[in-house]
Amino acid sequence: MAKMTELNIEPLTRIEGHMGVHAKADLEARKYTNAYCYATMFRGLEDIIKGREPADAIWLSQRACGVCPMPHAMASVLAVDMAYDAPPPPMGIAMRNLAAMAEEVYDGALGCGILEGPDYSEVIMSKANPEILGKANKTDAPNGAKHGYATIGDIMRGLNPISGSIWLQCLNASKVGLGMASNMGAKHPHLNNFVPGGVARTLEVTDLEAYYAGLAKEIAFSKELVLIFDDLLTFLSDNGLAEVGIFPPNLFSWGMYDDPYTYDAKYANMTKWGEKRALPPGIIINGKLITSDLVEMQVGVQETVTHSYYHDTPKAEFATDPLGNPLTKDHPWNEKTKPEAGAEKDWEGKYTWAKTPRWLDWKNRVDGKTHVLQANPISRMWVTALAGKSPESTGTSVKFTLPAGTVAGFNITEELTLEWKIPALNNALERVRARAYYHAYSAYQTYKLVLAAFEMIKKGETKVWNEYKRPRNGIGVGTAEAMRGGVAHWVVMKNGKTSNYQMITPTAWNVSPRDDQGRPGPYEAAIIDSPITESIEGELDGIDVVRTIRSFDPCLGCTVQVFNPEGSMLAGRELDHLHAEEVLEQHEHENEHGQGHCHLHHHHSH
Amino acid sequence: MQPINLIWLQGQGCTGDTVALISAHDPSLVDVMTGVLPEVEGIRIAFHPTIMAPWGETALEPLEAAKEGKLDPFVLVLEGAVPTESIAQKTGGYFCGIGDKGGKILTLTEVLLDLKDKAAAVVAVGTCAAYGGIAAGKPNPTGAMGLSDFYGKGYKSTLGLPIINVPGCPTPGDSTIKTLAYLVLVARGALPVPELDEFARPKFLYGELAHHICPRAGYLAEGKFSHHYGEPYCMGLLGCKGPIAYCRVPREGFADGYGGCPSTGSPCIACTEPAFPEPPTSPFLQKSPVNPWIREGILDNIGKVKATLHRFKRRTI
Repeated sequence: MAKMTELNIEPLTRIEGHMGVHAKADLEARKYTNAYCYATMFRGLEDIIKGREPADAIWLSQRACGVCPMPHAMASVLAVDMAYDAPPPPMGIAMRNLAAMAEEVYDGALGCGILEGPDYSEVIMSKANPEILGKANKTDAPNGAKHGYATIGDIMRGLNPISGSIWLQCLNASKVGLGMASNMGAKHPHLNNFVPGGVARTLEVTDLEAYYAGLAKEIAFSKELVLIFDDLLTFLSDNGLAEVGIFPPNLFSWGMYDDPYTYDAKYANMTKWGEKRALPPGIIINGKLITSDLVEMQVGVQETVTHSYYHDTPKAEFATDPLGNPLTKDHPWNEKTKPEAGAEKDWEGKYTWAKTPRWLDWKNRVDGKTHVLQANPISRMWVTALAGKSPESTGTSVKFTLPAGTVAGFNITEELTLEWKIPALNNALERVRARAYYHAYSAYQTYKLVLAAFEMIKKGETKVWNEYKRPRNGIGVGTAEAMRGGVAHWVVMKNGKTSNYQMITPTAWNVSPRDDQGRPGPYEAAIIDSPITESIEGELDGIDVVRTIRSFDPCLGCTVQVFNPEGSMLAGRELDHLHAEEVLEQHEHENEHGQGHCHLHHHHSH
Repeated sequence: MQPINLIWLQGQGCTGDTVALISAHDPSLVDVMTGVLPEVEGIRIAFHPTIMAPWGETALEPLEAAKEGKLDPFVLVLEGAVPTESIAQKTGGYFCGIGDKGGKILTLTEVLLDLKDKAAAVVAVGTCAAYGGIAAGKPNPTGAMGLSDFYGKGYKSTLGLPIINVPGCPTPGDSTIKTLAYLVLVARGALPVPELDEFARPKFLYGELAHHICPRAGYLAEGKFSHHYGEPYCMGLLGCKGPIAYCRVPREGFADGYGGCPSTGSPCIACTEPAFPEPPTSPFLQKSPVNPWIREGILDNIGKVKATLHRFKRRTI
């Protein structure tokens, strides 16, 4: 006999922005049977961008997200480069990439340590999964000798909010990354120096050196981060959490980091320069890579609004793209959706401010139909592994070596070879693991690019911007990757003004509602059929729902997690308080630049 | 020492002001929270959606407690703009829900009204919360506004203070934390009430034009301008709005000493100003308005004449 219960979670705290979940659970069968996810805030940014000079979108569109503004800056500047026909010089491309990479290392540390990691911390485990915690305390961490945490239980204590040493290290690494991003981008959040044709930044070698010094810290941090999370997640996977939050391997990545010598901002050459990205673009359906062609990928994008608070696009303005490929009326160059607020929780009707991106297999690689795709670091790593286009790709894994380096406070000084292998399941744990590996892979790519930038300086390639003449009309698309997945912007310029502007964020793909065929978006799909692993005393807390959603990393910064308002986190803090102070002090000493660390501190009011 | 509660609401924003807090340095967040400075001890974060412990309906309990006076004294902080919900209500909907209470969406505006007459001090962090900012950009689809417009002219908190605006897009973490720490010092009797400018910004943060404290100002004095991005001279001809923006970033950097808009070669976009993102702050790459430059040109010449004449005066010290 099914024992059904329903759960409304809003605010879904500790993510960026406003979102709610409505889930149904069968307590007898111990699993979730249905879920609806909805975004609860609307500003109309795309409408605000319309009617202005297209370049203004580079600044305005970033304001979509204060956690990951860079990919908006990148997608926007690439779209405007194309619309203006303004290709940057190699150093301009390299400097954009350096700013982008800094955001990835800041955001990766934040995601792993502050957003998602605490879901597996001692304070949460002691309530949600006390049996697993008991076992963790008795299980040696395989890499303990390297990262310094002897047991899995020690790692879980390290992830305790505020007091845990891993938590604090991650917050510190975020701060270092934000400093690097502000260095290269003038400021962060919201970079100020991406301009059509390059960057508005005076190249100073001393700034590059400071950036390099920050990177050294990130590399040292990353070696430990990956080994710690490997030990933790493998243990959890072997002990009952592997079935939580599964979504089939239908994934996409726009690819990232344009090659300074290939990118030319021309749509006609997009396939060519897209393939040269350090991380290649690609779409995976049922575990198979079906394309790595940026043009094919972008032409297939559709945005519909069956269950979203918008009116549909009436008809297509453009029948084809500039190369003659067919566009549907729901392609973002055609899309003209109009917002209209509607009633809440109308599951059969409209229930969210998020739209519904889907991808049309228009070249009939699989079935010629639309597909629900997931954006995420795991998608990026998976595509990179399968594509075989980068030196680190083996066809089934991504393998790379972080350089040696001695950084005070970190244990591993020798070089370290890491290999991310395509996992058996795309579940909540593997999405977190991919994020940790992506931090390391970003740090590795950044290291390569810093050395390449030094090489450019030696060769005298120091020009950061090419002058351009603004045309009256143009069309552009820009694609990039945020930590949490692919972002793309589309611009149409008429008479020097933006006549249409559309942005599709990674969270838009992931939080999307049911589509016209009733298929749930990735968040919803990953919750449906997920087991309930929590030990239930009284009401269902929904930890498995929260773990599932956080594994997708729906944006946001410094989060402190705890189970209930009277919760054990404060107790944990008291117990571990001395340890926290020691760690803080250590950071203070380690850091010559005075960029100690910071942590957001939670004192509950009761 | 009596604890001071902090209620940090998020409206139509991007969480950028919260992220920027990670970069605060002197004091850092840790410093403030752990009470490194004795007079700043005892700040408690009662509600902050992105850092707080609980989720769902339990997370909303502190808001109810504050409404009932159980969290006095509390500082109300808003990040993000306030929409005109009556526009959404015409079609049966809402623009900004921040919670779910008894199966119903709880909107930001309901909570703001509940707390209006209870807050000891009110701080609008970021340009959206202060003046509407990006969300209120034309055509302002949701009727977004700053908190001062929502609460109305002449609003005073229970301590008798007007809303304090700490604008920026986002506000540098260090400015936010210095403002909050300052208010605590005021509450503890360690500092006087801060002086505000005509847009309700604390003068100790917004007293100087970006232009005056820009490291490139010396080039302006010599008439050297950048004509291409990447050049190290005054950015006035490449879109810089420094002459109309009150902001500390050119001198202090943006995060932990790093960055700085015109100082590293990008145009200031005057994101601390009430007009942002409308003209004269945009188009962002358009040259800045000519009036401040004419004024400055005249002052500059007077200054040079004065400096020259003073050379002929006898030294007295």
